[in-house]
Amino acid sequence: MEKLITIEILTGAALLTPLISFLLCLLIPVRFSWVVTIVAPILLLISTSISIYLFVVVPNNTSLLISIEWFHVAQYSFNGNVEINRLSILMMPLVTMISFLVHLYSIGYMVGDNGTKRYFAMLGFFTFSMLGIVLSDNLLMIFIFWELVGFSSYMLIGHWIEKPASASAAKKAFIFNRIGDAGFLIGIMIVWANTQTFDLQEILHMSEIYSWQTAASLCIFCGVIGKSAQFPLFTWLPDAMEGPTPVSALIHAATMVAAGVFLLSRVFPLFTDASLQVVAVVGAATALLAALSALNQFDIKKILAYSTISQLGLMVTAVGVGSANAAMLHLTTHAFFKACLFLGAGSVIYALQIANRQTENFDVQDIRNLGGLRKKLPTTFFTFIIAAASLAGIPFFSGFISKDSIITSIWYWSGNTFSWRWLLLVAIFVVSFITVLYTFRMVWFIFFGKEKQSASAVTEPPWILRVPLLILASASVWFFIAWSPFNPSGWFTTLIGGLPDSILVTSISGGLVLLAFVTAWFVYTYKKTQIKSLRILQNGFDLDIAYQKLVGQSTVQLATVAETVDRKWIDGFIHVAAYAQVSVAHVVLWFDKYIIDSSVNAVAWLAGVAGSFTRSFQAGKIQLYIFWAVAGLIIFLFFILI
Amino acid sequence: MFPVEHILYLSALLFSVGLMIIIIKQNAIMVLLGIELLLNAANLNLVAFNQLQPQTFTGQMFALFVIVVAVCEAAVGLAIVLRVYKYYQTSILSEISELKE
Amino acid sequence: MSQYLLSSLIFTPIAAALFVLFIPNEAKKTFRIVTLAISAIQLGLLIFIIHQTKDSTFSSFLLTEKANWFSIDLGTWGVLQAEYFVGIDGLSFSMVTLTVLIMLIAGISSWTIDKNVKGYFILLWILNGAIVGTFVALDFLLFYLFFEFMLLPMYFLIGIWGGPKREYASIKFLLYTIFGSILILIVLIALYLSVQNPDVQDRVVHTFNLIHMTDAANYITGSILNPDKGWMIGAHSARWWAFVLLFIGFAIKLPAVPLHTWLPDAHVEAPTPISVILAALLLKVGAYGLLRIAYPIFPDIATSLSWFVALIGVISIIYGALNALASKDLKRLIAYSSVSHMGFVLLGLASVTTEGVSGAVYQMFSHGIISALLFLIAGVLYDRTQDRMINNYSGLSSKMPMYFTIALIGFFASLGLPGFSGFIAEIMILLGAFRSFSANGLIHESFAIVATAGLILGAAYFLWALQRMFFGPFYIKSEIKPSQLVDLDKREYSMLLPLVLLILVFGIFPQILLDYINPFAQHFTDSVLNAVRTIQNP
Repeated sequence: MEKLITIEILTGAALLTPLISFLLCLLIPVRFSWVVTIVAPILLLISTSISIYLFVVVPNNTSLLISIEWFHVAQYSFNGNVEINRLSILMMPLVTMISFLVHLYSIGYMVGDNGTKRYFAMLGFFTFSMLGIVLSDNLLMIFIFWELVGFSSYMLIGHWIEKPASASAAKKAFIFNRIGDAGFLIGIMIVWANTQTFDLQEILHMSEIYSWQTAASLCIFCGVIGKSAQFPLFTWLPDAMEGPTPVSALIHAATMVAAGVFLLSRVFPLFTDASLQVVAVVGAATALLAALSALNQFDIKKILAYSTISQLGLMVTAVGVGSANAAMLHLTTHAFFKACLFLGAGSVIYALQIANRQTENFDVQDIRNLGGLRKKLPTTFFTFIIAAASLAGIPFFSGFISKDSIITSIWYWSGNTFSWRWLLLVAIFVVSFITVLYTFRMVWFIFFGKEKQSASAVTEPPWILRVPLLILASASVWFFIAWSPFNPSGWFTTLIGGLPDSILVTSISGGLVLLAFVTAWFVYTYKKTQIKSLRILQNGFDLDIAYQKLVGQSTVQLATVAETVDRKWIDGFIHVAAYAQVSVAHVVLWFDKYIIDSSVNAVAWLAGVAGSFTRSFQAGKIQLYIFWAVAGLIIFLFFILI
Repeated sequence: MFPVEHILYLSALLFSVGLMIIIIKQNAIMVLLGIELLLNAANLNLVAFNQLQPQTFTGQMFALFVIVVAVCEAAVGLAIVLRVYKYYQTSILSEISELKE
Repeated sequence: MSQYLLSSLIFTPIAAALFVLFIPNEAKKTFRIVTLAISAIQLGLLIFIIHQTKDSTFSSFLLTEKANWFSIDLGTWGVLQAEYFVGIDGLSFSMVTLTVLIMLIAGISSWTIDKNVKGYFILLWILNGAIVGTFVALDFLLFYLFFEFMLLPMYFLIGIWGGPKREYASIKFLLYTIFGSILILIVLIALYLSVQNPDVQDRVVHTFNLIHMTDAANYITGSILNPDKGWMIGAHSARWWAFVLLFIGFAIKLPAVPLHTWLPDAHVEAPTPISVILAALLLKVGAYGLLRIAYPIFPDIATSLSWFVALIGVISIIYGALNALASKDLKRLIAYSSVSHMGFVLLGLASVTTEGVSGAVYQMFSHGIISALLFLIAGVLYDRTQDRMINNYSGLSSKMPMYFTIALIGFFASLGLPGFSGFIAEIMILLGAFRSFSANGLIHESFAIVATAGLILGAAYFLWALQRMFFGPFYIKSEIKPSQLVDLDKREYSMLLPLVLLILVFGIFPQILLDYINPFAQHFTDSVLNAVRTIQNP
């Protein structure tokens, strides 16, 4: 009992230290902003150590619920429950550790930046929100943190405020996520209308499968499509590379985008067969399209971004075929090797920017401008190649094991008889083939080949950039995950659960990888093929242009129409009504002036005329008076007498 | 003795002539003369009607009374005309229309 | 003492307005001090009310105050009676709290006014009293009186202290609202003729009491609005027409599309503090009227027309957001975002579920503080440059970093980011609206689904504005001098930071306010749904 209480406190501490880091970073005055670069990593180190301690200490099958009521409406409670279970115990050290390494890396990478305070604050806030997603036992809370990571992603992509591209990339990322989140929200509403609770404890342990679950799970999957950059909403992720590279490593490769996969695994019991099939197809389509795009990129970070999308597609497919555990394994390995690749790319960019500060501006991220850096940047090269091997799924690296378990699950899922499921299997094989190709292409053009002009003054970046690389690279080797390089069983399987395993599939995929490697070597090294790209693939199948044309422009047009309606029709109606009233008033005024007034005037005039007529009798001439008097008298007499 | 009617006709004629003079004549003195004619016409009537009661002399008495009053009136009237003439340098009535307004 | 609490809340500012009549126009400082003093007194009273009522059971009213206002014997026509009847429940409480807070902020924001200061502050205080009065009145006549009493100060405040097109804007505002008022007045008279006071047995005593009006038993047999056998006007019952008139009357205030076009003009032309009051308080009167009058008095019609109310709500959400997207003027954008957000109130209200109604009230409160913050943000820029066109600025974050931070918070709060109060309100409204179909069958689920598009559009227009004004390289229109762009000063912090804090507090600890709103929401839904049942099966 006592131990459980300590676990509660420690979990709380691990969750809140990044938040404290965020607050501290905000409160420290600008002139002491260097303090931030010390405090933030230390706090993250604390959080990481606690998480690792919990990871070690907490027994494997724990499911510990800490009940916190957030607020209640009528009889319904909205809880902020924290649940410590196998998934959260896995994700906590993963998130905090990569976050810590990125913090460490950023100290060197962000040197001289005048937004360090904001940068570290948002990193802390991101880590907090991400831990929130991981620990929440409540769909609404997950949604809240889900939105908050979106916000920190927005802030971090747009970190270089003065770059117009980063601002629009940040906006795009947030809006695309919002589109997915709107779907997620509808899913939440469906769940609410049917269960009146958000507690996953209750939602996931229902006795029967209800028909609303398909709709609800598909809607929740919309959120995943947005956040994990799945087809058709993946185009925000390559643009998000406008942010600082460590951010890309943390948020847009290792953790935030993987939150979608985590969510799928978390609410897996909610998914019905029908919705799982959709998940699998969407995942496979994403994996394939993104892999093809990755093969056609020139920008290092864009290659990595598309490769991330592709790998996320693989994980989503794994969930779709019912093997959430395989997805989680790939999430874990991917987090490390992809973070390592991004940080490696970051240190290449850093080194080249430092070296070429004087020379004219050229794009240091374009692999066509790079080459032969392996001698200049030995550490970076070494770590990069390990992580790349892991990405490509070369045996003896962690990526091989995880990708292998995904392929094995799909293999079992597709069955023995031919069905559309086989297409999916083929697609995944193609993806893993292409993965090797683009990884080889990237590594080859950066580190091998002729040394270009740009590489002349390059020196290895400082140790603070290299240490995280080394740590991450070492985690990309097989023994980090499992005992045997060909079998996933190890600490992971004991923690999360069993994984499908088949010697046949392992050998097929191993063979495929080797074949792909040879092909890549033949194409890029032996034939020395010039680097080329298909424009449509480079632009991610022109989905962006399509969105711009279809959605963006139509929304803008709709907005213009709405404005016109407002100004012309509604206001116009009001104006017409007002003018009508005013015109009527004018008519009335005219009537008043000319008819009523003039009739009154006419009467007055008549009276005047009569007056002046009668007045004419009284001209002051006494004789006239007498005349009239006599005349009157005569008339009077005349009447009287006759 | 004349019958009363004849005297009445004469007095009516006198009255009419006096009235005509009052109305038509421009000069204030002529108007005063007209007034005298009117009074005389009235006197004539008084005397004439006294014929019907021969034992009394009321009619004659009144006539005498009217003659006295007429004298006074003529004196006052002429005095006014004189004053008016002095003030306006005219005795033409239509030019002295101050009563108007 | 405690029986006059509410009256003192209403009449403190009005008394102050009378008092300063004797102070010369030049004594600007006095007016500022009096404004602060009024707000301090009101806050004190409010805290006292909270303290007094913390143990009460919350079933309906926390505090009431009743006095005979006038009573005229009309012989066979009955007795013309009106009461001074005020009371405070969860709904009133949250609105009065909002009023007091916003009036404090608006008072501080009014320090920059230098044209006819005395007149300005007197009007401001009359407005203050009238708004509080509207929110606590429980007698329809009294409510109507306060309701009308708000319009004139507002008309003058926009028409005299406004921007270049102020005459147009103020006339438009006045015409719209007077039109709405007339519709409400018609219903007021019809209701008065139909309802009798149940406390007097031996003769017919008509009453304006809103509580009596909610009870179907108090309707005189054969009267116009009798729920059983009311009059028919055309194809619909008189009650139907009465509800529709009330709805239009309050929808103008709300404002709901298509009766909203007074709002952008009024906001654009009004001075900053008046914009703040307009958005934060006056719009709430419309929603308050629906919650306090239209729904409880005509529950039968209201529930049968819920789909219509929800439809208007959803149209407002989407249409307002689209218009905001097309706006080039920062204030206009914020004004249209208000239309969009008030649409949520209609949606929540129409659902008649506890969470929907709670959410609607919460949204009223939350939108009050958020829109106040946004208009202050627009005002900060306008004070410096007299220019609100979004396209005339770029990259402001480098010149005014703190301003950027506050604007960022304001914009994200308004687009419904979790952690800010708007999120709680919107999520509850959406949940309620969605559940309504299965809970009471009033509105279809699709309304809630379409309304989520408003959230996406909300993100679009706010981020778009943020991107153009604050991100990118520094640029301003050539007429503006960069030296004009100084960062926030102390007075501005004193307005903005408390609002930011409130938004955060109510976003993270919603229970503070929900403790007051919940009983109201529950009472409201129960009574409306019960009343429908009793009317339908007597």
